[in-house]
Amino acid sequence: MPPGPKKCSVTDAPKVAAYIHDAFYSPLAQERNRPARVALSRLTVRQLKNAVTDLVGSFRTQVSPGEAQGLRAEYFRANQFRGEDRVIERIDPEVRFNYGQQGPSGGKFDPHQFSMRWQGSLVAPDTGVYEIVVRTEHATNLWVNDLEKPIIDAWVQSGKDTEHTASIYLVGGRAYPIRLDFSKSKQGVDDAEKNKDRPVPKASITLAWKRPQQIEEPIPSRCLIPTTFPEAFVVSTPFPPDDRSMGYERGNSISKEWDEATTSAALETSDYIAAHLKELAGSTDDKEKLMAFCRKFVERAHRRPLSPAIEKLYIERQFTTAPDPATAVKRVVLLTMKSPRFLYRELGTVEKDPYDIASRLSFALWDSLPDETLLKAAATGSLVTRKQVAQQAERMVADPRAWYKQREFFLQWLKIDQHPDLAKDTKRFPLFTPAVAADLRTSLDLTLENVVRSERSDFRELLMTNRYFLNGRLAPIYGVTLPTNAPFQPVSLDPKERSGVLTHPYLLASFAYRSSSSPIHRGVLLTRSFMGRTLAAPPAAFVPLPASLHPNLTTRQRVALQTKPAACMSCHSTINPLGFTLEKFDAIGRFRSVENGTPINTAGSYEPRGGQPVKFAGARDLSRYIAGSEEAHTAFVEKFFQYLVKQPIRAYGAQSRNDLQGSFRTNKYNMRQLTVAIATEAAFPKKASSFKGTQTATAQSPQ
Amino acid sequence: MTYRNTRREFIQNLGVSAAVLPFLSNLPCFAAPNRSARKQRLVIIFSPDGIVPSTFWPDTEGKIVSFKESLTPLDPFRERTLLLNGVCDRIRGDGDGHMRGIGCLLTGVELFPGNVQGGSDTPAGWSSGISIDQELKNFLQRDPATRTRFGALEFGVMVPERADTWTRMSYSGPNKPVTPIDDPYQMFSKLYGRLRDQESLKSVLDDLKQDFDKVGSQVGKQDRQILEEHATLVRETEQELSAENKVDRGHPVPVLEPGVHRDNDRMPQLSKMQIDLLVNSFAGDFARVATLQYTNSVGQARMRWLGVEEGQHDLSHEPDNNTVAQEKLTKVTKWYSEQVAYLAKRLAETPEPGGEGNLLDNTIIVWTNELGQGNSHTLDNIPFVLVGGGMGFTMGRSLKYDNVAHNRLLLSLAHGFGHRINRFGNPDFCADGPLSKLTGR
Repeated sequence: MPPGPKKCSVTDAPKVAAYIHDAFYSPLAQERNRPARVALSRLTVRQLKNAVTDLVGSFRTQVSPGEAQGLRAEYFRANQFRGEDRVIERIDPEVRFNYGQQGPSGGKFDPHQFSMRWQGSLVAPDTGVYEIVVRTEHATNLWVNDLEKPIIDAWVQSGKDTEHTASIYLVGGRAYPIRLDFSKSKQGVDDAEKNKDRPVPKASITLAWKRPQQIEEPIPSRCLIPTTFPEAFVVSTPFPPDDRSMGYERGNSISKEWDEATTSAALETSDYIAAHLKELAGSTDDKEKLMAFCRKFVERAHRRPLSPAIEKLYIERQFTTAPDPATAVKRVVLLTMKSPRFLYRELGTVEKDPYDIASRLSFALWDSLPDETLLKAAATGSLVTRKQVAQQAERMVADPRAWYKQREFFLQWLKIDQHPDLAKDTKRFPLFTPAVAADLRTSLDLTLENVVRSERSDFRELLMTNRYFLNGRLAPIYGVTLPTNAPFQPVSLDPKERSGVLTHPYLLASFAYRSSSSPIHRGVLLTRSFMGRTLAAPPAAFVPLPASLHPNLTTRQRVALQTKPAACMSCHSTINPLGFTLEKFDAIGRFRSVENGTPINTAGSYEPRGGQPVKFAGARDLSRYIAGSEEAHTAFVEKFFQYLVKQPIRAYGAQSRNDLQGSFRTNKYNMRQLTVAIATEAAFPKKASSFKGTQTATAQSPQ
Repeated sequence: MTYRNTRREFIQNLGVSAAVLPFLSNLPCFAAPNRSARKQRLVIIFSPDGIVPSTFWPDTEGKIVSFKESLTPLDPFRERTLLLNGVCDRIRGDGDGHMRGIGCLLTGVELFPGNVQGGSDTPAGWSSGISIDQELKNFLQRDPATRTRFGALEFGVMVPERADTWTRMSYSGPNKPVTPIDDPYQMFSKLYGRLRDQESLKSVLDDLKQDFDKVGSQVGKQDRQILEEHATLVRETEQELSAENKVDRGHPVPVLEPGVHRDNDRMPQLSKMQIDLLVNSFAGDFARVATLQYTNSVGQARMRWLGVEEGQHDLSHEPDNNTVAQEKLTKVTKWYSEQVAYLAKRLAETPEPGGEGNLLDNTIIVWTNELGQGNSHTLDNIPFVLVGGGMGFTMGRSLKYDNVAHNRLLLSLAHGFGHRINRFGNPDFCADGPLSKLTGR
């Protein structure tokens, strides 16, 4: 609008009209100006799968993991697993043994005949298909999750078949029971007395896996627990991916494929429950018991007590019409899993319903259903005040599921959840093997976990720490001395060079080309994820200038040359000076001081919204700036909120964001406290305020 | 389907020039290409521990005039039966007679060395090759014209719940034993489970729609849209299910007698249920190949319902001069031939869907055993009893061969399906090609 109380001239009038149209009346403007609101959403795929696992799991014994790692091992001096033949009982951190022609060390064994059994649980860090590999020259059986049926049955050892693999789909962040048997002996007819005349065959055994999109490695002890967890039901039906156009997965739309997937998942679940009815419901044909099971099942799936009408529709009607009680259970399960009361969150109930609060909390913190304790709190009126809700959130954030969800946030925030391609130029970086790339990801995982799950859980430490987790394979590449086979452990890198997650080699290698760094990719990550700025797409697709075209230029100079045009600079004046600060890290995230013989210039700058430009000498300067920048805190709070809650933060009002940011500051930027605060805040959504402008906007736009 | 092209055209279509014609003519596959468009089927039935030769094999070669005691139940199918004597399992190598007996029976190739130790000989592992049923399944599944939902089905009756060389006869490849399904209810849900799922689903959709309406009325206007879209999808599912249910499956879904669980004494019921399911799966064209494995090699069925209290394997070790034992063994073998006869009867009673004649006209049943005789553990004179018109063999005869390798019979089965391979299993035993005398007079 033209400023001042001047009269509008004839020539100005169309401009004013056009401005008003564009700003308020055009379809785009209406979309833009529509007030954000907490929209009815279906469960995301992650939420649905977690909810089903927890729903079925709620009928089994609950086990808490404890701190111990590794598997319980028993060693027997016979081909059978009898107590009187047991020689050793201990915890093995992992299963990777080479006995050669001897028996296991630590006991007296006939090298011709001994057996082992390892038991405990396996923790799946990610969701996806795991390939489990057992290598041995002798008989072996492996059970994962289902302890009735082995996924590897190689009790018959045959030919040169010494590698046994099986695939299993697991949902991440959970523990699954595992048992591995080994036997060096013959089956069938016992002719052991002839053994003394025979040469001793060699024996070894390794339990390995290939995690989704990773390479094979022996299953590390941090993913093994000596406690045996109950079996977990996992929905393996593939689902179409959720909408992520707003930067977080959300359930804002449905499709035929999604609906069909929910049907398959419902059938998969009802089959599973039918097959485990005795265990879950205590009977396979007792109508009373099965009805009681169904009442609990539906109640837990609906996340609230059942009204008489619901109970009649979901349970009684099924038991009256089905030919037998077991079929009725199948139908109840199908109906429940297809029900909008299970599939949707925030289903139009009154504002301060304690069961809604319970669901909001559990989906925000765990992406899953409320647990027993939470439902009990809702039932007894102890989920009413903010304080009560915060106390529950505090309890829930300690659950492994909460960390798993937070971890997923960090991977998305850092734009590495899709597993970037880390293949590098093997001539320039012969040390950078696929194994190194896989280890780097683990290193980032552990480094993140170490900060976020620590007592302080300090956002600033995430940016400033120089303690990284490296192992023997990574150490020499990143300038540390460790024994070659050293497991992952915290090591300090030079604080003048490294500072926090920004300079973690995995991140730097991910935002780089095959043989050179990429200040632009790094700059875009910084601009969007860390500073929370929006960037328009480049006006056209550009191919980066090949280094060979300008052999005398540094990467920085080449990037500056290519992005010089004014059309580029509207964004690249922000992107480049941020990305340049990380130029001392090459395509595999190694520190360097010179490029092509030229000393590297890491000077950079940033112009905050409504503030004076800031200059940085390099990576550490930049990290320190971000750690203390209110703008970065705002961006972090906003993104974290939206990832946890799966609704736009604007829908909760400006005050919510200010309050959250205030408490983040007061709590010394404690991310775990922030998680609790966000879940609490989102448990009490405001009523969507109506925006007057759009209500009349259906009027004809001025011509 | 018509096959009007000449042999010349056929060869031209293959892109083979006339110059190689004379060589090709010598290969059986070009001499008589399989032009049958009928649905050919194969059932292999296994029973263990050998037979009693004196009550099994006819005294003379040629047309079967009457059966000896063990085979009398097959009398109604005498004209459709072919007995092959003198066919021997000549595969040697690792494993004892029972292990090689079952493991090489359908594969025609040695067992791998391994850790399963028998009563004698060296320990062994799994077979080092594919079995003929799986080979034919793959062959039929490759061609859209003969492809079926499962290709092959592996039935069992009282197969022990342990996987070792003695309990597996079917192999999908080296070191890849196929586990037979010996629980009729499990087989039923494999065959008809999808259908039952659809019925269950259909039964709840009405209730679901009702609840969608109720929920829809509770949410605000802006939120209603997604629920309405969702409810539309639910209605579509219902329509699709109704459409699908109209598709003809060729036979009614069988009803199984409930509560027949794995138990030695229930073997007759289990056998009948499995055979009924097998016949149904052929009538519905779910598969063209099936195996039916009674117990296992070294099987210990106690046929108390025949008045035989001893385990079959223990009995089979008794010498020839123990006449009581031999009589009992004859009874046992006769019981197995009753099962074969029941299968033949059911197939003969079932008209060929969409074709001429009945299922038995287009099916070959091959009933066999891992041993020729239990007390000698011989792999010579393995019993091979063929019933039905599936291969176009000349039936109603008893043939005597002179110690021919059973690989050649496996080749004959392949060729019978038009799968013109020239070796199966150990090539040393395949040089003479398929068995002679099976067709013709």
